[in-house]
Amino acid sequence: MDKLPLGLALDLRKVVPYETGSWRTLMPVNIMQTPPCNHACPAGNDIRGFLRVLAEKKDYEEAWHVLSRTNPLPATCGRVCPHPCEDGCNRRDFDSPVAINSAERAVGDYGLEENLEHKKLIAHRKEKVAVIGSGPAGLSCAFHLAKRGFQVKIFEAYGEPGGMMRYGIPSYRLPNYVLRQELENIWKLGIDLECNIKVGVNIPMDQLIQAYDSIFVGIGAQTGLTIDIPGQDAGNVFSGVEFLREVNSGKYVDVGKDVVVIGGGNTAMDCARVAKRLGANVSVVYRRTRVEMPAITAEIDEAMEERVMFRYHTNPVKIIQDDDKVVGILSVQMELKEPDASGRARPVPIPGSESVIPADTVILATGQAVDYDGIEVHKRDNKWIAADENLMTSIDRVFAGGDAVLGLETVSAAIGQGTRAASAIEDYIDGGVESRLSSPPVIHSKDLNTYYYNKKRRFQKEALPIHMRLKHFKELYPALDPEAIIDESERCFSCGLCYNCGNCYMYCPDNAVKISPKTGLYEFDLDFCKGCGLCAKECPCRYIQMTLEK
Amino acid sequence: MREQSKYLEGVDKKDLFASGHRACGGCGQALAARLVADAAGENTIACVATGCLEVFSSPYPDPSWRIPFLHSLFENAAAVASGVDAAYKALKKGPVNIIAQGGDGSTADIGFQSISGMLERGHNVLYICYDNEAYMNTGVQRSSFTPYGARTTTTPTGNTTRKKNMPMLAADHGIPYVATATVDDFRDLQVKIRKALTIEGPKYVHILAPCPLGWGHHGELTVEICRLAKDTGLFPVYEIIDGKVTNVRKIPVKVPVEEYLKPQGRFKHLFKKGVPSKEVDEIQEIANQNIERFNL
Repeated sequence: MDKLPLGLALDLRKVVPYETGSWRTLMPVNIMQTPPCNHACPAGNDIRGFLRVLAEKKDYEEAWHVLSRTNPLPATCGRVCPHPCEDGCNRRDFDSPVAINSAERAVGDYGLEENLEHKKLIAHRKEKVAVIGSGPAGLSCAFHLAKRGFQVKIFEAYGEPGGMMRYGIPSYRLPNYVLRQELENIWKLGIDLECNIKVGVNIPMDQLIQAYDSIFVGIGAQTGLTIDIPGQDAGNVFSGVEFLREVNSGKYVDVGKDVVVIGGGNTAMDCARVAKRLGANVSVVYRRTRVEMPAITAEIDEAMEERVMFRYHTNPVKIIQDDDKVVGILSVQMELKEPDASGRARPVPIPGSESVIPADTVILATGQAVDYDGIEVHKRDNKWIAADENLMTSIDRVFAGGDAVLGLETVSAAIGQGTRAASAIEDYIDGGVESRLSSPPVIHSKDLNTYYYNKKRRFQKEALPIHMRLKHFKELYPALDPEAIIDESERCFSCGLCYNCGNCYMYCPDNAVKISPKTGLYEFDLDFCKGCGLCAKECPCRYIQMTLEK
Repeated sequence: MREQSKYLEGVDKKDLFASGHRACGGCGQALAARLVADAAGENTIACVATGCLEVFSSPYPDPSWRIPFLHSLFENAAAVASGVDAAYKALKKGPVNIIAQGGDGSTADIGFQSISGMLERGHNVLYICYDNEAYMNTGVQRSSFTPYGARTTTTPTGNTTRKKNMPMLAADHGIPYVATATVDDFRDLQVKIRKALTIEGPKYVHILAPCPLGWGHHGELTVEICRLAKDTGLFPVYEIIDGKVTNVRKIPVKVPVEEYLKPQGRFKHLFKKGVPSKEVDEIQEIANQNIERFNL
């Protein structure tokens, strides 16, 4: 034994520090919570995950892999999604939400440019699944099943895959090559595709049920609903979906000089803006006002920028024809009375206010319905497919999702349904394993300590100037600057997940926050933590919380 | 393995003031002492006056200090540090960072004479005052740093005098460097300590270190209270280099003093049934004078 210096009775190097952890009544714990963006995303994307990868590692490739874990079509969603995530973003109460949609598009575009490939989780399984419809719901279901090794075959009624994304969304919003490339990337997982096969017409449903272990029905709402007005069987009267399908198939549609679009939904906006690009004067006729319009606000704004005329409080009464051609619409002014069952004000006609709107083409964008030809399932409200919480229909082994189940919804909602259906199908085939975990609670802006965040301007994507928009179908928003998107991702609060700010590490008066030698993350040294709660209070993103001692 | 946080660049964390000390949960002084020790580094001698810091950090046989540590009486930390400096000069050893540390009582009241002597003689010592605005170690008695209106055990109806302005008194000794800091901005605090240690001669740094027990707030609020003290204007943060006030921290958004006073038990008597008494106006006046004086 070493001789101790004079006057010392104990070797100080061998003294064990006094463990102050026994003083504690509350204990800090790291709790990963659900950020509001992830919670709001109908497709279930890990938004915080990919934004943090961009912000911390500036790595677009890894960000693409995080995003494409849940979403097979990031470049598409980055263009067409109405981004409910941004409405949820906690930054909304601080300055303005993170431009998540633009970031998603930039990440998706990077994946296309670099030809990144999806990773298979399980190489091969022998079970076969048929997917009817190659829209977002069907694709997402097929994608997730194929990743898990199932043998998937998609039946598509039209000539090209993509469903409403191919035939319903105009190419100034979603260029064809983007969708095509994303689809090709999905086929690489080993999915069979057969086009021009309408299940129920070209091939009976029963045959599929016998030949496959499970079936997913994602047929969407492809039939345009018409309203009950005389003259609608005239030439040059289209339903909204029909019109968009014709244009998107590359056919030349002669719309003439004046186009009247009836309806106030997203399809109506798309039709109006497409007709505008075909060179017509377009007016949208809607019974109520702008406030009641079901279309996405940004779409209405853009349509207004493009000088689409809006006639509110106007209801068509009759389509006037000369020979077989439309020449105009007889319409009547409406006034709004107390709300109806849908919560919107009920329009009532004003007597004697009839007028004629000249029209060479009339587009009825007044709702869509499911085309049930040859597919017999139980229905909800006599309109949409009835499905239980696992998305199974009234027929055993047959699942359904997307617009056909939800009613008219977004691409991301359909993707989310496809994902849910895929895991339900997997559970069903594996014998009813309940694999879904409940997600942790959502974090709100009042829970955050925003002192540590800096105000920063939101990234603003720039649209083509108006005079350059209307002559062609070129994409409205040109490519985004990847550097600007990385800057934007740094605005993410990282709600509910440590972003390595180091506050807990620096502020602990007892040095009881250590960097774990294994993971490199911060961890609590409970031998010394006195439970004062300073780390939890000063944690900007509320990853640290105080709980009762175990 | 995650890299060292980019948010902590230029911040020192060496744990030279280690875990296992007996400070209360959320102690501002323990936090400040660690930030100071880590910024000063291993080549440092700490001379500490009697007070909370000495009591909770140095019991035999497991002191928290991982640097040489000298405990002195309540009043003479500065004199002991002067002696250390003289010894180093006599032995022609060094250079070494000599830090004398004390609470507000030992700085402003009991030890004022020895500090004044140290500053006047020009020893190469950094004196750090951990200001928790009363004699906390002996049971919350009033010191000359106790702010106007604060309740202590010896001023049960609230202190009637204003706080002594020690940084200005120190600066008037004609010393090269004086600074104030708080524990909430650890980067600023460490920068000031490092800067002070590069200057030859006597230096004085005044650190606001909340005492959850004596101030009557929850331990988790230590940092928040510091922030409010700065943003109300009650604790101006600045440097005095060669007699000139510089690097004043501007208040981003001015906060009324009520927000600073309300979370603290020592000011509770100023709010009868939530209504602020006239002392609160007086405290607001002090804050306004600070704002005007230092152009916060």
